[in-house]
Amino acid sequence: MMKRAILAAVFALLAPGIAHAVDVKTLKAAKGEDVWYVEDHTLPMIAISAAFPAGSAYDPKDKAGLAAFAASLLDEGAGNMNANAFHTAIANRAIRLSASPGRDYLVVSLVTLSTNAKEAFRLLGLALSKPRFDADAISRVRAQMISNLQQGDEDPDTVAAKGFFRTFFGDHPYAHPSDGEAAGLAAIQADDLKNFAASHWVRAGLKISVSGDADATTLKSLLASAFGALPANPPPQLSAVTHMGAPGVHVIAMPVPQPSAVFGTPGILRTDKDFIPGYVANYILGGGGFSSRLTTDVRVTRGLTYDISTSLTAYRKAGVVLGQVASKKGSMRETLDVVRATMKKFIAEGPTDKELADAKTYLTGSFPLAFDSNVGIAAQLNAFQMAGLPVDYVENRNGLINAVTSADVKRAAKRLFNPANMTVVVAGSLAPVPGGATKKKH
Amino acid sequence: MASFKAALVAALIATALAAPARAEQAKAFQFALQNGMQVLVIPDHRAPVVTQMLWFRVGAVDDPPGLSGLAHFFEHMMFRGTPSVPNDQFSQTVARNGGEDNAFTTHDYTAFYEQIAKDRLRIVMGLEADRMANLNLSDPNVRTERDVVMEERRMRIDNDPQALAREQMEAALHLSHPYGRPVIGWPDEIRHIGRAEANDFYTHHYAPNNAILVVAGDVTREDVRAAAEAEFGKLPARELVPRADFAQPPRLAETRMVIARPDVKVPVFERIYRVVSYTEAKPGEAEALETLAQLLGGDATGILYRKLVVDTKLASDVDVSYDGYARDAGEFTISAVPRLGVRLETLEAVTDSVLKAYARILPKAADLERAKTQLVADATYQRDSQYQLATAYGQALAIGLTVDDVEEWPDRIRAVTGQALRDAAANDLDKREAVTAYLKPAAP
Repeated sequence: MMKRAILAAVFALLAPGIAHAVDVKTLKAAKGEDVWYVEDHTLPMIAISAAFPAGSAYDPKDKAGLAAFAASLLDEGAGNMNANAFHTAIANRAIRLSASPGRDYLVVSLVTLSTNAKEAFRLLGLALSKPRFDADAISRVRAQMISNLQQGDEDPDTVAAKGFFRTFFGDHPYAHPSDGEAAGLAAIQADDLKNFAASHWVRAGLKISVSGDADATTLKSLLASAFGALPANPPPQLSAVTHMGAPGVHVIAMPVPQPSAVFGTPGILRTDKDFIPGYVANYILGGGGFSSRLTTDVRVTRGLTYDISTSLTAYRKAGVVLGQVASKKGSMRETLDVVRATMKKFIAEGPTDKELADAKTYLTGSFPLAFDSNVGIAAQLNAFQMAGLPVDYVENRNGLINAVTSADVKRAAKRLFNPANMTVVVAGSLAPVPGGATKKKH
Repeated sequence: MASFKAALVAALIATALAAPARAEQAKAFQFALQNGMQVLVIPDHRAPVVTQMLWFRVGAVDDPPGLSGLAHFFEHMMFRGTPSVPNDQFSQTVARNGGEDNAFTTHDYTAFYEQIAKDRLRIVMGLEADRMANLNLSDPNVRTERDVVMEERRMRIDNDPQALAREQMEAALHLSHPYGRPVIGWPDEIRHIGRAEANDFYTHHYAPNNAILVVAGDVTREDVRAAAEAEFGKLPARELVPRADFAQPPRLAETRMVIARPDVKVPVFERIYRVVSYTEAKPGEAEALETLAQLLGGDATGILYRKLVVDTKLASDVDVSYDGYARDAGEFTISAVPRLGVRLETLEAVTDSVLKAYARILPKAADLERAKTQLVADATYQRDSQYQLATAYGQALAIGLTVDDVEEWPDRIRAVTGQALRDAAANDLDKREAVTAYLKPAAP
């Protein structure tokens, strides 16, 4: 059915926010990991999300993709089970295990029926503490990852995003894609993978969120079986980001009917006092779908795109304002002009009173939507943990948003959305189309 | 694409789009309003939020000749305003109330939804009732939205060689049946959509007696009945244009295509069989196809996956899926990506040998059991999400299935036998009913 479905307006937008609905408890696990959990016995299932300091920012320079490669091998054999045996064991119990490497963290998520919880957590523990990295699995997964990268090269959105990070972060390991590069993947050996897992799949810095059908006692023993055998040694440090951005428009030539652009400016860290004002400002500029200025100016008024959005992204060592838009061949220049003009107007004038009020009621009112499922709760709480927030943030978050003033938003917008600081990477072409594709103006 | 989206949003919680119609043990209550609108309530009291979905029994199959894409285009126009909620105020009103909204169109139906705090349910019901009856279609809006849809088409289809190949395969597979036309429309026909066409479409298809309201979340049957009667009950039923009963002419031979393009970086072998859907199938037949797809290539333990990816190392990836949630034919799809240097012909030959074998032999009991366990567990996991649950029921009702079909689905899967799987492989996967495509890189 998926293939026939067309969405009218896809805008992913998530308030990091509060839930009146949810009672989040903390747990001191056996080895002192940071554990947040919500106990709910309505459904016979448990969802867990665990973040390890094992993202692509730890990849060695000549081995881009090491973190992702290790993550992809998580279910490819452990202990005395080879890949087939491990896949069969989790499939027999309908255990859903996935590992997603981001730039800072590796997020491992597990969903299981509560009747199978004991075995599910035991298998997770085995996968994390006794990965085999068999030669056969390594060569198979390497081929899959390289093939996926090549398929990504067909997609201008992916090409533009990769180009943006390369251009924006230069020499820092944030510059390469979290799923790696073909040359890096080709260079990785079994020992690299073993060493990476041993030094990064560790308890220090481990952040765990759980939601579902388990009380504290049950959970403690489940967590001990999944994480108890991991080494406690701390992982290497992330390197500091010393330079961000290469203002201007950079084109990666691609013969596509619709060029895609990723644009961005230097952002701020999650600990910055302007983060929440910046978050509200971003909603008004480009985070708020049909409530945002960019959607109004670029899509609704001019029909130049199907989707435009911006986000305030904070990695551990750098913040970046990221935007994305695609428009037909011949229209990208005009589209980028509109984006710049909209940013310029916003930083000059700040928000209207109505925009600020609307942003607050959306951002606070939609917060409970993130807490309507076990899978959603585990993911959302884990995201807060990764951002370094305390557990009472869940209660305090809406108050912080409501306290934001118009002056705060204007100040943050000036810091964040200056088009003169903007790096733009276009996959496609900026050339005009003969005969004029931009015939119509409103 | 996935990593790109993940990079762009600080903390994204993805909602699956169209979930299969399955929902173990969920309790749903069904009733109808005087004007013919069907209502379904699925209580879930874990969080103080609700998901409202409004499904219309109209989709791309109802696009008039020469105007493919009209149903989808019209879905966009539903966000373009009424006299009391003008311009793009619909989504802004939902957002101002802390809600999220969106919509999607398929060949068979069009659905609109909102997720919001439970005390705002009346507000989003009022908004939906208003745009069902009072839409304001203007020429400039139609023109701009047509540009937006053309951009959407470029993004989803024209920029993506695999999507283009899929579009060609569907066109060949379904012969004259409108499942062969893309939901988003052919570019030359999208261009012909105007205000008058949109208005006719609205008058003929958007009415309470053509709609199914699904509310999942922290509500009771009584809450929803009272609110729905107040907001939707006042809309008069309308005479509908009957949906055409399209023929699905027999296919006399397999269709094969080789698509070679410079924008292809990775070759793909893909085959789609036209098979029965849940609405057409004999009892157990669709469930057997569902289980067969899972057994062959639903995950890394799939028979075909293991054969091609793990044992012979000919492919880097294999996927097998069955899409049976349709008013007319369903589809059974196999795709494989070769390892470097492997010919697509080789992947196809091994695939055919596996299919041939499973048309003769019974699957191993452990393999069958595992496939069924995976599918049945999906029904439990689906109950975790209001959106997925509401989608499962809404989709089923929209194509003519019943609440019982949804709720009995896990038991029907449990009842699937090895014999039924063998029969499905032998009889349903008929090559004459298939399109096979090779997608290949080509020099510019």
